[in-house]
Formats: sequence, structure tokens, C-alpha cells
Amino acid sequence: MLPAAVEALVGEFRKNAERAASTVERVDADAESVQDALLRAAGGAGAVLLAPPLGLPPGILNGFLEGPNVITSPSAEDLATVRVGITEAFCGVASTGSVCVSLTDGFTGPISMLTRTHVVLLDPGTIVPRPRDLFSPTRGPVKFPRNSFTFITGPSATADMGPLVRGVHGPGRLHIIILG
Amino acid sequence: MKPGALHPRDVADKSPKENLARAIAFALEIESDAVRHNTQTFNANRYTALERLEDCGALKDRARAIKEESIRRLPELVETLTRTIRSRGGNVVYARTKEEAAAYVREICRAHAVNLAVKAKSITTEEIGLNSVLEADGIEVAESDLAEFILQISNEQPSHFVTPAIHRSRERITELFKSHFRTDRPLETGEELTEFARDILRQKFLSAGIGISGANLVSAEEGALLLVESEGNIRLTTTLPAVHVAVVGIEKIIPSRSDFGTFIELLAASATGQSLTSYTNILEPPLPLPVLNLNGRTDAAREFHLVLVDNGRMRMREDPGLREALYCIRCSACLNVCANFQAVGGHAFGGECYSGGIGGAWTVGTSGDVMKGRFAELCTGCSRCVPNCPVRIDIPGLNTTIKERLLEAGEPALQKKFFAHFSSLARFASLLPTLANWVGARGVSRRLLELLIGVDRRRVIPPFARKTLLRQYAASRTGATRPVGGLTRKLALFTDVYTQYNSPRMGMAAISLFGKLGIPVAPTGVMEDGRAALSQGLVESAARSARNVAGKLEAILDDGYDLLFAEPSVLAMVRQEYSTLIGDEALFGKIRAHCFDPVEYLNIMIDAGELDVQRLMPHAGTERPPLFYHGHCQMKSLGIGMEAPKLFRRLGFTVDVSSVECCGMAGSFGYKKQYYEISKNVGRDLGSQIGKSVSASPGTVILASGTSCREQIGADFAGGAVHPVEFLDSII
Repeated sequence: MLPAAVEALVGEFRKNAERAASTVERVDADAESVQDALLRAAGGAGAVLLAPPLGLPPGILNGFLEGPNVITSPSAEDLATVRVGITEAFCGVASTGSVCVSLTDGFTGPISMLTRTHVVLLDPGTIVPRPRDLFSPTRGPVKFPRNSFTFITGPSATADMGPLVRGVHGPGRLHIIILG
Repeated sequence: MKPGALHPRDVADKSPKENLARAIAFALEIESDAVRHNTQTFNANRYTALERLEDCGALKDRARAIKEESIRRLPELVETLTRTIRSRGGNVVYARTKEEAAAYVREICRAHAVNLAVKAKSITTEEIGLNSVLEADGIEVAESDLAEFILQISNEQPSHFVTPAIHRSRERITELFKSHFRTDRPLETGEELTEFARDILRQKFLSAGIGISGANLVSAEEGALLLVESEGNIRLTTTLPAVHVAVVGIEKIIPSRSDFGTFIELLAASATGQSLTSYTNILEPPLPLPVLNLNGRTDAAREFHLVLVDNGRMRMREDPGLREALYCIRCSACLNVCANFQAVGGHAFGGECYSGGIGGAWTVGTSGDVMKGRFAELCTGCSRCVPNCPVRIDIPGLNTTIKERLLEAGEPALQKKFFAHFSSLARFASLLPTLANWVGARGVSRRLLELLIGVDRRRVIPPFARKTLLRQYAASRTGATRPVGGLTRKLALFTDVYTQYNSPRMGMAAISLFGKLGIPVAPTGVMEDGRAALSQGLVESAARSARNVAGKLEAILDDGYDLLFAEPSVLAMVRQEYSTLIGDEALFGKIRAHCFDPVEYLNIMIDAGELDVQRLMPHAGTERPPLFYHGHCQMKSLGIGMEAPKLFRRLGFTVDVSSVECCGMAGSFGYKKQYYEISKNVGRDLGSQIGKSVSASPGTVILASGTSCREQIGADFAGGAVHPVEFLDSII
């Protein structure tokens, strides 16, 4: 069980992420639970792209990484064709349900935008109350702040074709897995 | 020519006078429904989002302060930013003109032998005419924002900042795609259209040699770009090709990326009514990230070019009449909240790329041609944009400046002078009201008035009263009103021209109502407040009136009086516009603190415990009819749009309240022949809300504080609307 303050942030994060049309689940922070969750999220897709996380406990992807269809060094063709991508978020934002994803760590950026389903791994301890906290000098509990990143708030969307449509140039599905 | 046969591009430039009229006719026939639906949805969502953003007032103050500081320090910030980007290996060019800016981008494309550029939405690249320059060089430009993708096919100019194709319904997009693409794919739903466009654009993304974006803001210290979007095309544009060019107006520079925290939530809430859009991107390019070369090229390293566009902005900075426009963060709240914009959109209420209330100043500022800003005439001064602007820009003030400059540039002024000098006319007509009303109601004189001055003959000219307010007041005085213990307020009624000559009954009702409560109210002498002149762009004349009135008000206020205003547009004039017009901050503060709407005043007394609400209760046995209240636009902007519902609910009435921003009459606007159709079109929303309320609750009494609101309502509803004070006076 996390400290009450963190639990409150997790609750708010979850509510607002779902309001922004993300799907959210919370699993135990062990390799087996994470593997199960990732396999469910991939939904039987042939191959998945994975950007190895830098800020999560080492070994958390043991098991899943050994799967036959996990690509960690994608070719140009993989990036253009694979439909499911997994990255970490270095931070979550409670008031908006956003996840912050680095644009400068390996293939994290491209994987999070070229795929149809983006699965995000989030450490609940990194959730900050508001977007502005990412710009404050202390940056709250964010352990590894990045200079170039994106607040991802729900799947990509447009209203330009009339009604609201989810899934445009970026993923049509954003699935957030909260670890622990 | 039938409006339907027109292409919006043909009338984008509003300097030929007839273009504005043709664009209005076209927009009302073809684009109105889509624009109305979309802007009103954004508008409602913005209100909800800002309510959730609990400290939005403080954020607005901070955002305003940052923008003021940034524009003040602009030359220095340009230097800092240039140094920062260069020290990181990026390139910066300062383009004084749009030609310089576009030519620089073309040279980058040439240097890289690029034949396909992928582009994110950027109004600044529209301003500099980038696409045509690149295309003339044989470079294909793929607009990747779906709205821009639509406009590239239809060759239309954007009609809105955030959603540039807001004027097209889903049906009209289907029609466009079907005639343009030879395809068997279904194109009937939003999903089908989106998927179709996405597939085309994904191929462009995977093969483009260069990505061109704008930016919402740029920080000087860190060289960080803020790019806000929902579709994901900006992310692809800025990171897939090795070469990224950002074309950015210099007014987007702010000191530090720590300031992004102030803007991002405010911008998302104000623009689309979201807590954040799908992607809020912070980039410090060139990114330390390997080149992907998905396009098959063999580019070795990432390259970043920042094109800083001046193109008139430094000139705007030196121009006190336009400088404030540089604070704009392009959220479009002033477009979505504007009743006229909701009716016609940016093809009529806009120029070649900038549209809406803020668009006039930008069009004039970047083109240097005031005639192109003629569409600023569609700003009625209703002021609904003012409290809704996240950086508190006085948008009606900018448009008044443009109206004034249009007159200085030789625009015909007869119609404006007619409406501006209504008071002289009224004073003259009141000498012989019967004759004046007879002339005003005659077909032949109305035709003449329409022909010579452009007063639409389908409108009823408000008749002149047989006895003015001051004469009625003098005749009604039968000794002192009963003094009542505890009520120590000293009250006077501001006698504006309209109340004096045309509608003394609303003034008399206020005097009578407060008299029944034991508070004597004496009317002031007749004063011309300057509103009429201001709304026509006759700023000097308005300022003269304002200074004159302010001087007289000071004497009255110094005697310990509070002032009541029966007509809300006059109240808004002294409580809002006098701030800049009278040039005396201390006096303005005093005026603002002591001038009131009568109903607002009653609520204040009740809230302060000075007035027992029981004293306002209808006579025993009086039926309470259901009420419908339409709040005056400027009262809403003053924050007192809900005073009447509050009071009548206190008195046990049920009150239905209109949700429209403005009735569409907006003072003299709806009388003008060239704007009659817009005015009626805007009024449709209020009409249908009243209609619904009246048919659900027969016997509903319609209340409206604004004189022109009552004119607009009276044209469609027999019995019309009454001033809340008149109604209240009639029942107690």
C-alpha cells in the first residue's frame, strides 16, 4: 500500500485518464503480473514494439521480454507496420490523467506515436498533481525529468471530419498500466 | 451571382467593400449551420473546463503579465533565443518580411533536394504564403492536420485558428472528398473520412524529407518549443524527418520554459474545453535522437531551423492601438464566444488567414493595410470576448481602433455619424415627437433613410416619447417619498439619451420602484455617455463625451450618491470603457464602484441585510407568471448577467434563462441594412429558446434589461419583452 497522498493522486489520475478516453489498470509490480497485463493489452497482436524502460525497477519485464514477438530494436519496416507499442512514462499527471513520455530516449517517442495501440507503464510514485508541476524548479517526485517530452492525454483524436473520432495519426487506443 | 457560386478565396481580402457583403451572404447560406454547431459546442465546453480549472483567474493574470513582459523585452528575447538555439547546433533566421521567411524555407528544401515537405498546422505559414512559394519550386507540400488537409483540397482559407475547416460539415467534407478522390472506399462517416485521410498522410509522413511546423510558444532561455495538438501529426512532422523547420512569429517568444506551466492548462481549456489536448509537446530541437530515415534517405544527423517571422510585428509593438494583439495565444475563445462569429464564421468575419474578433488587428498589423481589416465592423462591441480571453485582451478596443482608422482612411461615414449622433437627433425630434414619429414610420421616409443612410427599413425605429423622462419626473413629484428607517442610501438615476427621449418608462419605473421602498431617486440631467460614438469608431468624440460625463459624475458621487442605470450598455460604458477613455484612473475607480444596475443594487442591499426581501414580494394574491430572462451581453461581461434571475428566484418566481451570448441586435448593428440578415440570423437562437419556454409555460413574461435586446425580441414576439425593473414595479 502506498502512502495516502500518493493513493489520492493515483485515484485522481485514474479518473481523469478514463475521462480522457484512456483505459487504465493497476497491477502488482512484479514481473509475472506485468507480463500478464502486457500480453492482455497486446491482445494477441503478432508483434509488439517495446522501448526498454529506464526508470522502472530492473527485471520488471523479465518473462515478457523473452517472448518471441517482442521487438526492442525495430527496423524502419517494424516502425511502419507493427500495431502495438509499449513504453514507460517518466511521470503521470493527476489533474489531467496525462502520461509524460520522453522524446529523446531511444525509440520511446516513435513507438508511442506510430503504433495503433500504445501501452504505457507508469510508476505511481511519479504522479504529480498538475501539468504545471513539470515546469516548477523541483518537478515534484519526477525522478528523471526530460527536456523534450510529450504530455499524452488520451488517444489521438480529431473533430475535423465532423464528429469526434479517436485514432488519427497517433494511436487510437491508450492503455495505461499502473505498477503497484 | 448566387452566393453558392462563390469561392471563399475570392472574398478573403476584405479591402474591396463589396467582398464583405458577398462573404456574409455566402457564409449565411452555405457555412452558417456547421460554424454555429461547432463554435457553440466549443463555447459550452470552454465554460465547463474553466470552471474545473479553479485558479483560472490567477492563471490569466499571470499569463497576461508574462505576455506583457515578453513583448516589452522582445528584441532582447530574440537575441537570447537565437544564441540558445545556435549553441545547441540549431539554425535561426530573423525574417523581416513574409517573402524573406518563405524564401528561407525554400532554400532549405533546395539544399536538401527535398521534393516532399510534410507540414503541421500553422497560421503563420498561411500568413507568409509558404505553400505557394514551395509549390512554385516544384516541392509538394502535404498538409497533415486533417482540417488543413481538407482546405488544401478545397483551396479555401482557414476560417478559425484551432479548427480551420470549422465551416465544413461532415456532409460537405464527404462531398469534397468524393469529387476529388477516385476511390471505392466508403467516405460517409467521420471514422471513414479520418481513416482515408490518415492512410494517405501516413505514406506522406514515411516519405517526406522535411517537416515544417509552427509553435504555440517558444522559450528564449532554453529554446524550447511548445506545440499543442490532438491528432499526432505535429509529433510526426517534428520528429520523423531528419530536418525540422519551425516557422514562428516573434510574438510567441516568452522568457523561460517554466512559464509554459502557466499557459498549457489555460490554453487547452480556452481552446477546446479540455484539461489538456491529446498531445502537449515540449521540444528542445535539434533532438538528441538518432535519425530514423523511414523515408529511405540517408540523412546523417538531425537538423533544426527556426524561422522567426517579424512581418509587421515589431511595427505592431510600436503601435499603441494594435500592440495588445501580440499577446494573443490563438486559443479562439473570442471566436467561439462571439455571436456574430457563430453565425458566419471566419470566411465572412475574417481575412486571408486571421479571423474573428482578434483577426482584424492581426490582419491589419501583418499586412499594414487597414482596409483588409474591414471585417472588424462585424465586432459589435458586445464584449463577450473580454472576460473569456485567457490573456485579457481588450478585443473590442482593438476593433474600435480599426473602425476609427477606416474612417480616417476615407471610408464613407454618413451611416456611422447618423448612429453616433443619435442624441442630437433625439433632442431635435423630441421637440415635436408626434411629427418625428410620423416621419419615422412613413414608408417613404424609411425608404429614404435606407437609401441615404442604410437604416434597414424592416426594423422599427424606436419612437420618441411624447413626454421626456425629466418632464415626466417633474410632473410626478408630489412631495417627498416616505423615509424608511435603516435605508441610508442616496440614489440618483443616470439620465441617458435613450431613457430621456425614447423610453422614459424604464427610468420612471426605477424611480417608482425605489420610491416604494422609501428611497428617493432623482434623475440626473441628460448626459450623452459616448457609447453611440464609440461603437461607430468615432473615438475622439466618444472620449470627449466620456470626459464630460465623468466630470459631472464625480460631482454627484462626491455628494455621496450611488448611480443607477436603466440601460445596461450605458452602465457598461462607464464601468468598462471609461477605464481607457477618461484617462483618470482614480476617478474611474470611483465611477466603477458607485454605478449600478437597479436589480444588482437591490441584490446588494438584500445581501447586506439592509433590505428585507419581503418588501419586494408581489401583492398578496398576485399570480407569479413564469419568467424568461435574457441577460444583456455587456451585463454578462460585467459579471452581473444573473442578477435578475437571482432576485426573481428570491421572490418565488421560476425563471428560465437564455444561454445565448448576445441577442444579435447589439445597439445600432441590427439596424444597419448591410447587417440586418446577420442580426436576424444571430437572433434565431434567442428566438427559439424563448419560443420553447413560452410554449412549455404559457403566460411566460419575457424580461430583458437591454433596450436593443427588447427591440430584437419584440420583432418576433407579440407583447415583446419588458425591463425587469418595470415588471417588478408593476407587481409590488
